[in-house]
Amino acid sequence: MKNKNLTYYFLILLAVSFFSCKKEGEYHSITDKIEAESKPYHGKLTSDELLAGSELMEITEGKHTFLILERKGQIKSFACIECHSKPVTQMKSLDGQKAHWDIKMNHANSEIINCATCHNGKDMNNLNSLTGKNIDFNLSYKLCAQCHSSQFEDWKGGAHGKKVAGWAPPRASMTCVNCHNPHSPGYETRWPVQFNTQKGIERKEGLDH
Amino acid sequence: MSENKKWHSLDLGLNKKKEASGACGCGKSQGSCNSQEEELSADEFYEAAINASIGDERQRDGFEQVFDVKMDRRTAFKKLTASLLIGAGAVSTSCSVVAGDDTKEKAQIDWEEQFKGNYKLMNDEEKQGTINRLMRSYELRTGKNISMTAENAEEDVLFGYAFNISKCQGYMDCVSACVEENNQDRNSQMQYIRIHEMKDGEGFKFDKADDNYYHEVPAEGHFYLGTQCFHCDNPPCVEVCPVQATWKEEDGLVVIDYDWCIGCRYCMAACPYDGRRFNWSKPEVPANEINKNQHYLGNRMRKKGVMEKCTFCVQRSRKGKNPACVDACPTGARIFGNLLDPNSTIRWVLENKKVFRLKEDLGTEPKFWYFMD
Amino acid sequence: MSQFKVLKSLVIDSLDTITKGSIKYHIWMGGLTLVMLIGMYCYFIQLDEGLSVTGMSDSVSWGLYISNFTFLVGVAAAAVMLVMPTYILKDIDFKQAVLIGEGLAVAALIMCLAFVVADMGGPSVLWHMIPGIGVFNFPNSMLTWDVIVLNVYLFINISIPFYILFRHYQGKEAMKKVYVPGAILSVFWAVAIHLVTAFLYQGLQARPFWNNALLGPRFLASAFAAGPALIILVLAVIRSFTAFRIEDRTIKKIALIVTVAAQINLIMLVSELFKEFYAPTHHSESAYYLFFGLHGKNALLPWIWTAIPLNVLATIMLTFGKLRNNLKVLYFCCFILFVAIWIEKGFGLIVPGFIPGPYGKIVEYLPTGIEIGVTLGIWALGAFVFTILAKTAIGIELGELRYKDKNSSAS
Repeated sequence: MKNKNLTYYFLILLAVSFFSCKKEGEYHSITDKIEAESKPYHGKLTSDELLAGSELMEITEGKHTFLILERKGQIKSFACIECHSKPVTQMKSLDGQKAHWDIKMNHANSEIINCATCHNGKDMNNLNSLTGKNIDFNLSYKLCAQCHSSQFEDWKGGAHGKKVAGWAPPRASMTCVNCHNPHSPGYETRWPVQFNTQKGIERKEGLDH
Repeated sequence: MSENKKWHSLDLGLNKKKEASGACGCGKSQGSCNSQEEELSADEFYEAAINASIGDERQRDGFEQVFDVKMDRRTAFKKLTASLLIGAGAVSTSCSVVAGDDTKEKAQIDWEEQFKGNYKLMNDEEKQGTINRLMRSYELRTGKNISMTAENAEEDVLFGYAFNISKCQGYMDCVSACVEENNQDRNSQMQYIRIHEMKDGEGFKFDKADDNYYHEVPAEGHFYLGTQCFHCDNPPCVEVCPVQATWKEEDGLVVIDYDWCIGCRYCMAACPYDGRRFNWSKPEVPANEINKNQHYLGNRMRKKGVMEKCTFCVQRSRKGKNPACVDACPTGARIFGNLLDPNSTIRWVLENKKVFRLKEDLGTEPKFWYFMD
Repeated sequence: MSQFKVLKSLVIDSLDTITKGSIKYHIWMGGLTLVMLIGMYCYFIQLDEGLSVTGMSDSVSWGLYISNFTFLVGVAAAAVMLVMPTYILKDIDFKQAVLIGEGLAVAALIMCLAFVVADMGGPSVLWHMIPGIGVFNFPNSMLTWDVIVLNVYLFINISIPFYILFRHYQGKEAMKKVYVPGAILSVFWAVAIHLVTAFLYQGLQARPFWNNALLGPRFLASAFAAGPALIILVLAVIRSFTAFRIEDRTIKKIALIVTVAAQINLIMLVSELFKEFYAPTHHSESAYYLFFGLHGKNALLPWIWTAIPLNVLATIMLTFGKLRNNLKVLYFCCFILFVAIWIEKGFGLIVPGFIPGPYGKIVEYLPTGIEIGVTLGIWALGAFVFTILAKTAIGIELGELRYKDKNSSAS
């Protein structure tokens, strides 16, 4: 009698273990797996090679340390003081060719923002914080972060913006001005780059839906 | 090449230049082998065999799939025995002294490719062997070189993806970048990525969403959500494949061995995310548009009658790059990275944004998260 | 050795039998051959151009082929309805019909395999599925289970009748202790093949239309209605064209089986419809599409609204003993029931599983001419195989085919 019971228990155990141990080392969910196997990556894959051609600089913001693209070298007419030898007010009164004719401000509205919000008329080589402190052109993101604090948080963490190279460390992020024109930061509407004609045929749809 | 292969190999006098003509080892009786040669010279026979199976592909170049089989309708019957014929052709040409070295080599490669094993079970040497053959075969047939690699999964890497619904504007740059990167069939306009245009205020109404819009975007009162293969951690497609032609790699990528797939499309029925595509006819890519940086499991040329899907651009991601869609996205809506690295940006997104996945109740555990600003 | 000689003689004799016959027989076989050739031609076109010549697409990735496969697995399984009473319950009535039933199962299985091969994208690499040489994803993939159970069932259904006929051919009685265990096994196996085939669909969480617990039982019920219905029709044909005696009682008993199975099938259908339409969720979209059309797309409506009335009509008529026992009415009922279940299991089950797609997109499916050609070709193949098997079996059972021991007559 006892023997028989034992056999049953054994069989049940076997069945249970068969179903529960379907695969070895499997986690209950992907988050468990990520938690359990989490470990800073120092493998052989790096983005060094991809980044080799870019001028980069390292910044530390809060807990995050990463590379960003150097900016000054990318601005064609830098340094600004080569032209802006006098304060802006004086230059405006001068006759002759207007510079920066292509810049159209489309960023918030004129009650909130104007040229002087960001540019220091007395020191054109630097940007100007809201409290009148100098901000280097290379660190222009600090200027944006003054108003766009939530975007800044996301950007630091990596949820906002793009990377310069691949996923592999070191991390090199594009800064605000690499994607947004600071004078007109919004994205334009445009046509999608492609249209799939086959899909429409398959679904027997007209083009005018 | 390697000594202990997992498939039937036929050493046809490429390594040993001369073989006893009697031992042609085509698997058939010697009589049938010889009787073929009575009617045709070895060269002619090889031509016939290749023509039956490959047809004019040798002359056309570029998009022609390396081992795809193309033939005239009238010679359709030969098609059924194409592999046998190639084998026989390989034997007859390599046994013969007259056949050119190129012809012999092609036949040898075709034979070995036809009867190679499942990539999943190959060791590194065998993997290298097959990609070398595929590259050489492409070179022999088109006169052009491709670079194909077979990188394995890296240790301590698990790929994951996040998609920012607030950021996507529906430009579809990702879709065309994907098509160009992955050499997808241009005729059927196969696309791995779908961008669904949804109405604000209606939630995720996929059935009412339009994934084939053509108007200026972003459209007023709409938002955009992209789908593709989610590389599930518990992928139903892998479970159902009868021949293990699709599987999950160590770094989380769900991949397909195009040469092992039998085209039953069971995986397609099993995928809840519309992540898989089938080559209903021969995939074609114009010669000048072919991406020549290929991976065996990724964007190498496919043939007709096999499955394919997004691989998170394995040819790029295993070199440390981002998938093409991530790089192409002008709005930064796409984030890719290593889930196991606590310093990666994808991990920051998972830990700090309100993320969710599609159809989580199915228990498929996708490694593709959505979030909003 | 002598067994081989008998076998050789059997093969020669049966070849002799199947090549001789009335004009009608020759026309029948010639017609089937023609349809098979047309089917082959269509298949070559499909091989050449790829599956793009079919109506299938990335959205509806299984169509007419897999529908027919599913249906025919049911027909094959139904042979058990005859095996069980004959061999196990010792009901003598069925003895005549059982060989026919098993022959039908063999033909159906061959058609199943042909449909699966026709549906493959790469038939030249099918060897990847052979255990040992290829890689067999057992037990994870239900398709591998299906391959195993179908082939074993084919083996059982070939070997049992073969053994019986082989003995009868020599004028000996078949030994019960040899074939009854096989017959019992085949009873369980028949249920298994159809249940496993149902699990093929039932196990897909991606397709809510299939992913319900009733699918397997409903498969069985509809199979046990459609299969014996086909057997009745075949018996009727055999009765009128050959000297093979099949009693009315046998046919009426099979009709009873058909009736009960059709009733159960109808109850399950009602249960399914109730669930889909009383409290519809987005999982009911497929059912809505099937029965009423969705967003103006309604390609399946004519099919399903043909099938349902036929099914109901046949079941009601069969339920009344008076009607059922009238053979003319019975044949008519069996025919419409067969058609109804064929539609229900094909266009009514496989296709709507894919519509709407995973993201609610509707791509409709209609088979192309080439697909229909291949399908007809495979049905002709099945009929051809069955005719050969039945003709030989009937010949042996009638005593027209008997082994003549040349050695003994010479000496």
